[in-house]
Order: sequence, then structure tokens, then C-alpha cells
Amino acid sequence: MDLVNIFIRSAFVDNMIFAFFFGMCSYLAVSKTVKTAVGLGFAVIFVLTVTIPINYLIENYVLKEGALTWMGEEYASVNLNYLTYIMFIAVIASTVQLVEMIVEKISPALYGALGIFLPLIAVNCAILGGALFMQEKQFATIGQATVYGLGSGVGWFIAVVLIAAIRERIRYANIPGPLRGVGMAFLITGLMGLAFLGFMGFEI
Amino acid sequence: MAVNKDSNAYTITFAIILVIIVGGLLAFISNGLKPLQDKNLKNEKKQYILNCLPGNKLISRDQAGTEFANYVKERVILNYNGEQLENTFMNSDQSLDDKNPNDAFSIDLLKEYKTISKKEDRNYPLFICEVKGEKYYVAPVMGKGLWAAVWGYIALDENGEKIAGAVFDHKSETPGLGAEISQDFFEDQFIGKLISSESGYKAIEVNKPGSPLNDYQVDGISGGTFTSVGVEEMMERTLSVYQKYIKNLNRS
Amino acid sequence: MAEETVIVEEKKEVKEREPLFSKKNKKLITDPLDENNPVTIQVLGICSALAVTVQMKAAVVMSISVLFVLLMANISVSLMRNLIPNRIRIIVQLVVVASLVIIVDQVLKAYLYDVSKELSVFVGLIITNCIIMGRLEAFALGNKVWPSTLDALGNSIGYAMVLVVVSFFKELFGSGKLFGIEIFGNATEGTGLYAMGYMDNGLMLLPPSSLILVAIYIWVQKMRNPTLIETH
Repeated sequence: MDLVNIFIRSAFVDNMIFAFFFGMCSYLAVSKTVKTAVGLGFAVIFVLTVTIPINYLIENYVLKEGALTWMGEEYASVNLNYLTYIMFIAVIASTVQLVEMIVEKISPALYGALGIFLPLIAVNCAILGGALFMQEKQFATIGQATVYGLGSGVGWFIAVVLIAAIRERIRYANIPGPLRGVGMAFLITGLMGLAFLGFMGFEI
Repeated sequence: MAVNKDSNAYTITFAIILVIIVGGLLAFISNGLKPLQDKNLKNEKKQYILNCLPGNKLISRDQAGTEFANYVKERVILNYNGEQLENTFMNSDQSLDDKNPNDAFSIDLLKEYKTISKKEDRNYPLFICEVKGEKYYVAPVMGKGLWAAVWGYIALDENGEKIAGAVFDHKSETPGLGAEISQDFFEDQFIGKLISSESGYKAIEVNKPGSPLNDYQVDGISGGTFTSVGVEEMMERTLSVYQKYIKNLNRS
Repeated sequence: MAEETVIVEEKKEVKEREPLFSKKNKKLITDPLDENNPVTIQVLGICSALAVTVQMKAAVVMSISVLFVLLMANISVSLMRNLIPNRIRIIVQLVVVASLVIIVDQVLKAYLYDVSKELSVFVGLIITNCIIMGRLEAFALGNKVWPSTLDALGNSIGYAMVLVVVSFFKELFGSGKLFGIEIFGNATEGTGLYAMGYMDNGLMLLPPSSLILVAIYIWVQKMRNPTLIETH
């Protein structure tokens, strides 16, 4: 039940895009057509589900105050917290690189579909944002952290695909010139964000 | 330039050199600044405690560092039943030691909540203060805001029934909304509110702003609903422990 | 990899020996203010731009920190541009940015504790600010130090402009204040405009309103400069 709750919360209530605006840059870049949106959406789900548990382990066995106790008692007071950002971002960037290489070797078809999106993800705020929120929320088990990553990814996916569908639909609408493209995308996201506010405080 | 920039050897050497330089630099800076940062944190905690005492709102962080002992006369750690733990009673002659687990000043309430799941097992620090001959009990409280922790310190009068002052702070509430709990207009509402009724402890309620208030209610922050709920939660959580202690003390 | 990142533009090496403020260099500063604004035209760094605009003070503090980090990152990456191995360049850039942010964070915590408390939420957001990565990748990696410095200045000022404008409207209409100073009178006591029945617009304080304000900003900007209008 707890896991379901975490999933629902991270996907809808704390939606990465509508509640925090994380990952907006790549979101606006790829939301022109549903096809690319689905591609990047899956890539984000995948990377979030992989990197959040890894970062969880790093946080709990390397970075936290007293996290190094497993190396021996004398390390109990070491606090490497100041390295958080750099460790997280390094994990994310190298995971993305690694995933890219593995996918390329194993499944060229999947690589063809996801390949060009993977480098974009290393700089996607949603991934680092997810890791930092994971640290803030102090999950008790790695299972919870993984579900949190999955949920955030799914939330991002839903948002980007929804917006892409709307943008595709209004392509031939008669929008005032200055608002065409980015301007309209902002407006739509704003309105969607208002709708998602309805999930606030929603709990199971 | 005969070095092949795409060779594995070059890439790995570059990565290693970069990691060593960056790691060394960060470790150097972080260790060099650590004492100053720790002092800031310690003084901030002292400032919270002093600020919630009546008439002390304006004490700055640096002042709090030096004047702490003038106000805080005794420190003690309680268990959940409001009883004093062994060896934890200290008076202002014993200097503060945030490494000594028997010193109430060392207790980090946030850590207590995160690491000890049963409320019966947690430690509850209490600071007994004196301002102009009046005795006040200052207790830390802690709750959850919209984004992360919110916390505060509450000063109780010597009967343990009335709130004499309150400070709140937050880690990362939304500026202009939830973050307003650390503003004077919100904190000052708590002064004079009651925390006990005939049936015992009664927690302060944080209402929707605008509705009429009784002695147990304060106005919440409009637009900061979750943070207001967090404040209500922390008022409910721990103050009853301290009230038990104060009542027992006065009875004996 | 990553050659096809969206931000591949202007990867030309600037010519040798130019005057410090040649026409081209001046353009590096003025372009990002309007025609190539990082937020409204390049659509970078939105996350932080939207998250910190409820109060002007937070917006200004954020702008200054981005200015500092972008400037230092652009300079150091530009200095190393001939050394960085191509394959790991994204990681190298991220490491540079992350270490700069950590340094800023640590120094603030030690010497300017109050500012650091103000910033706490936003510090992490600086790393994830796509403007910084975007500028490193698109400009600093292929240009000399001086143009990179100007580029950093231009882009962070362009970013700051949007932040300040958006936060001006959000704070003024959302809570009737500017920089925390009451402009429309006191809402709780009902003085000033509030005495005449004026009410703050709660929507302005909520996150979605920043998106709508940025959209209006884009609208006005493109109306004044029709060459920027996108064709489908």
C-alpha cells in the first residue's frame, strides 16, 4: 500500500513538470509530435528508474554522515554530504552513457528509437531533481526509492505525451502569430498545471 | 600536438586528473570552511531559543552566541512520559557541548524523528530559561511542510499552560506562501494562546484565515495550506510531553 | 554522441586579434537580451525561472548566482576546450558546473549564512539549469576565453531580465508587495487599496501563473520584433 501511495503521489500529485517544472527544457523541445514525445518519455522513465536506486545506495553508503561505517568504526564521523551534487550528476551522466552503449550493442532497433534522446537526458533537470528529492524524502528502503523513480518517470511521460498530443492537434489552428510555437506551449502547460493542482493533497 | 584526444589512455588520464583536482579543491574548501559553518549552525539554534522568549525577538545570531547563558539557565532531556532522563540535567555553568549525547543542546529533533520510529523511544530536549525574573520553558517542535521539514521553538509559561512565544522556520517552503510561517505576524499570533483545557493537553489548531478564533486557534497562511497543516501537526506532536513534565515539577 | 543536441549553433571559432569590444563581441552581449533570449527564444533554464519568481528578492538572488556560475563555468571550460576529450565532455562539463555550485554553496554557508538560507532551495536548481549546460556545449567549448566571458554575461542578463519581469508581476499582484515592501497597503489590516475592496490575486502565487506570464512576455516580445515569429 505504501508503495502504491508513493507511486501515485510521485506520478500525479508531485508531477515533475506541472508541480516543479523539472525537465521543461527538453520537454518543450520534443513535445512537437507525439512520436518523439513517447520516445523521450520512455527514456526518462528508464533512466529515472535506474539512477534513483543507484543514487539511493550512494547516498546511504557513501555520502550521509556516518554512512561510511561499513568501512570500519573510524569512518563513522566522516560526512561527505558536500559532494552530493557532484556524485549524483556523475552517476547520472555515466549511467546514461553506459545505457547508451549497452542499448546500441544489444538492440540496434531500440537504439534507433531512443538513441538520440539519451544524451539529452543527462542534462534533463528532472533526473537530477528526482535524485535530490529522493535525498530530501529519506526513503526507508531501496524499494521505495525505486518506485519513486518509476512514478516520477511515469508522471513526466504522461505530461509530455499529453502536451504533445495537444500541440499536434492545434498545429493548423489559427493562433495569433507571436504566440505560435513556444508561447502557445507555455500557455497550454500553464492551463494543464492548473488542472493538475486538483491532485494536491491527494492521498490513498 | 601529437596526443590523440580520442584514445582511451588520454580519456582516462584526463578523467583521473580532473577528479583529483576537483576532489582536492572541494575537500580543501569544505574542510577549511567547516568550523565557520558549524558555528553558524550552533548560533542559529541558540538564536531560535532566545528569540521565542518574550521581548527577545531582535537578538541577532552573533549576539545569541554570546548571550545564550544569560537566559538559558538549565537544560534537560525528557522521555516520552515527561520524566527526566538520568544524567541529563545541566545548568548554565556547564558549557554547551553538541557532541555530548547527555546535553539537551546536542539533540537534533529532526534526526530523532527520522531514525527512531517509536515515539516512546525518542529524546525530548527542554531548555529552562529566565527573563527578568520570570521562568519560561522552551521546547523544540517539528513537522512536515509541503516540500520538506518545518520546525520551531515554543516558549511555555511556568505553569505549562500558556504559550509565551514562538518561532518557526522551514527548509524550503514556497516563498510568499508557506515560507510566511517564519514571519512575525504569524509567530506573534501564538502568544497568549492556551494549550490546556479541563481534560488535559489541547493542541493549537491552525485555521483557515479569516474565521473567528478562540483561545486555542490561530490563523493559517492563505495559499500555504500544507505548511499550515505542518505547523498544526507539530503543535500536536510533542508539547504534551513537556506539559506533563512541567505539571509534575510544579506539583512536587 | 550528442552532436545532435538541440543546442548546436554558432560553433565557429572567433577570429584572432579583435578589439575587445568589436561589433561581433558586442552582439554576444546584446543578442541574448532580445533576439536570442535564453528563456523565451532558446527555451532553456525554464525550471528555475518558473520556480523562484514568487518574490522579486528570490529572483534577483537566483539571477546573481546564475551569473556567477555561468561566468566561471564558461571561462574554465573555454580554458580547457583543447584538452577535454570529446567522448566524456558532457560529464566534464557537469563536473565543472557541479563543483562551482558546491563552492558557491559552501562559501555562502560560511560567510553569508542568511543569503544561503534564502538560496537553499535554489542552489541545486543552478546545476540543473539548462542555460549553463547549453552555453558550455554551444559556445564555451568552441570559443576563446574573452568571447565566452561576454557570452556568459549576455545570457545571464537575458535570463535575469525575464525573471525580474515575471516576479515583478507575480509579487505585485499576488501579494501586493515588491521586494517585501507593501505597495498596495496592508492586506490583513485592510489599509490602502485594500480598504477600497481590492483583493490579492491568489492565482499569481501558484506555479502555473508563471508559465502564463512567460507566455505573455513572449507574445509582447515577438509582437515588437516580428522576425522572431515561428512558422509551423
